Amino acid sequence: MTKEAGILNRRDFLARGALGLAALSPALGRIRLPGAAPWLLVPMDDAQGDHLKAYGLAFRLLERGGRAEWFLNYRSGAFLLPADAATTRDAALNGITTEPLDDGQVIQIRGELAGGNMDAVPLEKAPKVAVYAPPNAAPWDDAVTMVLNYAGIKFEKVWDAEVLGAKLRTYDWLHLHHEDFTGQYSKFFLNYAGAPWLVDMVERNRAMARQLGYPSVPAEKRAVAVAIADYVQRGGFLFAMCTATETLDLALAADKVDIAAAYADGTPMDPDASSRMRWEEALAFQNAQLELSPTVPVYSDIDGHQVNSPERRQPLGSFTLFNFSAKIDPVATMLVQNHRQVIPDFYGLTTSFTRKTLKPSGTVLADEPGAPWVKYIHGEHGQGTWTFFGGHDPEDPQHQIGDTPTDLSLHPHSPGYRLILNNVLFPAAKKKELKT
Amino acid sequence: MSRRWVWSAAAVLTIAGLAPALLRAQDPAMSRAFELERRGDYPAAADAYRGVLVARPGEPAALLGLERVLLPMGRSAEIVPEVRAALAANRSSGPVFGVALRAWSAAEEPDSMRAVAERWAAAAPGDETPFREWGAAALSRRDRAGALMAYQRGRERLHRPDALAPELAQLAAADGDFAGALREWLPAIRRLPGYRVTAVSTLSQAPDSMRPTLLRQLEREPDLSARRLQADLRARWGDPLGALETLEGALPGDRAQALEALRGLLDHLRLRPGREARLATGRALELIAERSPDAERSRLRLEAARAYTAAGERDAARRMLTGIADDRSAPGTIASGATNTLVQVLIAEGKLDEAATRLAEHRPEMGGEDYASLRRRLALGYVQAGDLARADSAIAGDSTVDGLALSGRIHLYRGDVAGAIERFKEAGPYAGERAEATERTSLLAMLQPIEADSIPALGQALLQLARGDTSKAVAGLERVATDLPPAQGGAEVRLLAGRLAAAAGKPADAERLFKEAASGDAPGTAPAAELALAEVMIGQHRQAEAVAQLEHLILTYPASALVPQARRLLDEARGAVPQT
Repeated sequence: MTKEAGILNRRDFLARGALGLAALSPALGRIRLPGAAPWLLVPMDDAQGDHLKAYGLAFRLLERGGRAEWFLNYRSGAFLLPADAATTRDAALNGITTEPLDDGQVIQIRGELAGGNMDAVPLEKAPKVAVYAPPNAAPWDDAVTMVLNYAGIKFEKVWDAEVLGAKLRTYDWLHLHHEDFTGQYSKFFLNYAGAPWLVDMVERNRAMARQLGYPSVPAEKRAVAVAIADYVQRGGFLFAMCTATETLDLALAADKVDIAAAYADGTPMDPDASSRMRWEEALAFQNAQLELSPTVPVYSDIDGHQVNSPERRQPLGSFTLFNFSAKIDPVATMLVQNHRQVIPDFYGLTTSFTRKTLKPSGTVLADEPGAPWVKYIHGEHGQGTWTFFGGHDPEDPQHQIGDTPTDLSLHPHSPGYRLILNNVLFPAAKKKELKT
Repeated sequence: MSRRWVWSAAAVLTIAGLAPALLRAQDPAMSRAFELERRGDYPAAADAYRGVLVARPGEPAALLGLERVLLPMGRSAEIVPEVRAALAANRSSGPVFGVALRAWSAAEEPDSMRAVAERWAAAAPGDETPFREWGAAALSRRDRAGALMAYQRGRERLHRPDALAPELAQLAAADGDFAGALREWLPAIRRLPGYRVTAVSTLSQAPDSMRPTLLRQLEREPDLSARRLQADLRARWGDPLGALETLEGALPGDRAQALEALRGLLDHLRLRPGREARLATGRALELIAERSPDAERSRLRLEAARAYTAAGERDAARRMLTGIADDRSAPGTIASGATNTLVQVLIAEGKLDEAATRLAEHRPEMGGEDYASLRRRLALGYVQAGDLARADSAIAGDSTVDGLALSGRIHLYRGDVAGAIERFKEAGPYAGERAEATERTSLLAMLQPIEADSIPALGQALLQLARGDTSKAVAGLERVATDLPPAQGGAEVRLLAGRLAAAAGKPADAERLFKEAASGDAPGTAPAAELALAEVMIGQHRQAEAVAQLEHLILTYPASALVPQARRLLDEARGAVPQT
């Protein structure tokens, strides 16, 4: 991983964290309510009434210009917030468990943090969040959109025109979900021929490619992928799930290589595509073997589970979050804060990432012990970072097209969704404005 | 038994592990190999099977055993030398050819696969198995084109247009070519009707846009197989009445054939939800009953009646039931069931006197619980007719909890608040169906703050509600509420009136009543009234007002049991969760 200026590396992070703590406490102290405990601890262990909305509580405080602290590895990643009227009201309305603390109790907790594998990270600025999705995307077909809505975290939608038009620079955090950056319509083109949703998807993508002056959808999607990689290079935070993870890297590595089926660009896929890929262009993966059949909705052997290939499909197990040193590895520690260490796995068009295709520069955040795949990975690219999380919906393990949307009020403690929200708050921990 | 069937049976037995079991008793070396395999010691088992094959290279059981144990070790390709030796030693064994095909497939040698398949086909002329196994081996390495070539080659060599039709059908369906799959499934079903289940399951996955084409394609076929497939698919695709119509028009004169066809469709209809499916189920059962012997006919007609009742087709249900109930030759349980259902139908139709007469006539052959249950239904019928005296007499002597609950209602309709409360309490919270119990508990909650023992106007309003006149009930309840202090029933009665107005599509009245009920003087009722008020606002797309209302509820009554529900509604109003 490169260590350019502006990256949140471990040493910088520690230094900034210490400065932040010193600056934070007096600032928080000024906005205490008269006669009330000055702090609210938001526990994130099993005492919490709504884990997912707790992230929204912290986010909205930051939006109001307030400051918070994230206690890594303390009570499963608790937050310390000022007990101001707005925050107290917000917590009460949303059923978020809080515990009032006085200054003495806070000092006691800080002592505990100093003595164990724990740390306090200041949260200073609400990141500006963008979700990459086509204009007609159903709000309930993307785990990130669903959990942002549920937690009450504001975001804006962007698509190809905005990405290629340089609007990305105005955002701190970008999420990609099940977009197919190889331009092959999730490889559903042949198997779902005639389905109204597919017809609409194809027409919409073709129209966008024409509008932007590209000869085909695969060509236009590759340009989008390159623009996204450039966004990360310049310091953006990228979070991708499901098939966006795999296809983004395939598109990036397919420099002057035809990896799209004939139905997508008029020419068949290059039979030697696997050997001609330029993996140095990719973010996370290398040396993958591409699926040559246009009728098999599988892209490559990056995905370990191959859910849409009956002969190769692997059963779901569970994945285990890794432990990191909070003081030395705060970024990885932030991304794995959870009240559960072992989480049931869930399918997506890309469910997991085979170990053999991972670049050594990335960090594995969660894997299935003993299995040839991992679930959750993170890495740096230029001045920014990327995090890839396999699978479609943590609370709908067998997700099928047309399934009823997941109602997160039925899963307020979802450990899988917590991992998504860790990613949303992670950019808030940066002290400086992003150099995007 | 033809030669190909002998091979098929041997292959199945061997693959299922039965052949090793048989051989174990005969051959100590095979016994040892099989035991090692059973223990999961695959490397040792492989050595043992290889030992057998050194002595007898063409031994199919040993070769299959070796194939089985190499697979979990990921060493399938290592079997090639043993396969070559087996093919040289045993020139006619189907299992040996099968292993050879899979071995060449694992070794990615399509030419060798083809050569083995051709050799096998020459050894077993007229048999589909070589080509089926060849295709399966190609599919195992995701070579669809290779599989297609294998099946087509087989069809050509066998000179039968329906040869390997099921395999070709499945291949076509997997490629999204459902019209092609249908063209193959039809001859497959004609040859072996047992394929219908798989054909329906495969074809039913065709996208909506292709379904009319497939049905038209079937329409052009003249025989019963096509009609049955057409009917089954229509049932699967949500057109149960069309399915029945298709089959009914094509039913053959042969009773056994017709019964088989009808029962096949019935299996699909029973899985479908909805009124049309119940109606089609009733009609299918009636058609089956017409073709069934006397003893079974009554049972089928009773089943048909129940399906018709579920579909709301009371005339048809009564037509089925009248005959059975009066048929003294019908088995006792069937006649009793018919009487039970018939009385329910008559009550639902408002023919209370006829229902009472039938009930009295058939009392001797009915169980005590069934009789009491029907008397209570009859009493409810009288309530709906406004005849409280006959309702009371219908449940006289009924001391069950269900009877007490109904008696409480009748007291309430007479305005006897104290008597109703007493009986509701005696009945407890679990009497009757769940919805009924919940409603009764809500009524009790409304009545308990009322201090007066008797309020005839309240009884009258609730009776109007029971009889279906919601507008008069709302007006009556509002008048009653005016005379009651908020904390002594006034707010609760207004809340009920508001809920009825909302259900009757009068949101303005509902909003006014809820606002009045949300009085701070009745803190026990206010959270429910505020929640109901927010629901009305959301129903009118006044999300911002609803959000404010719900926030007020949550912050003002944080200990209320309705707070989780209010939070849920707040999420919906904000668009944070899908609408339910």
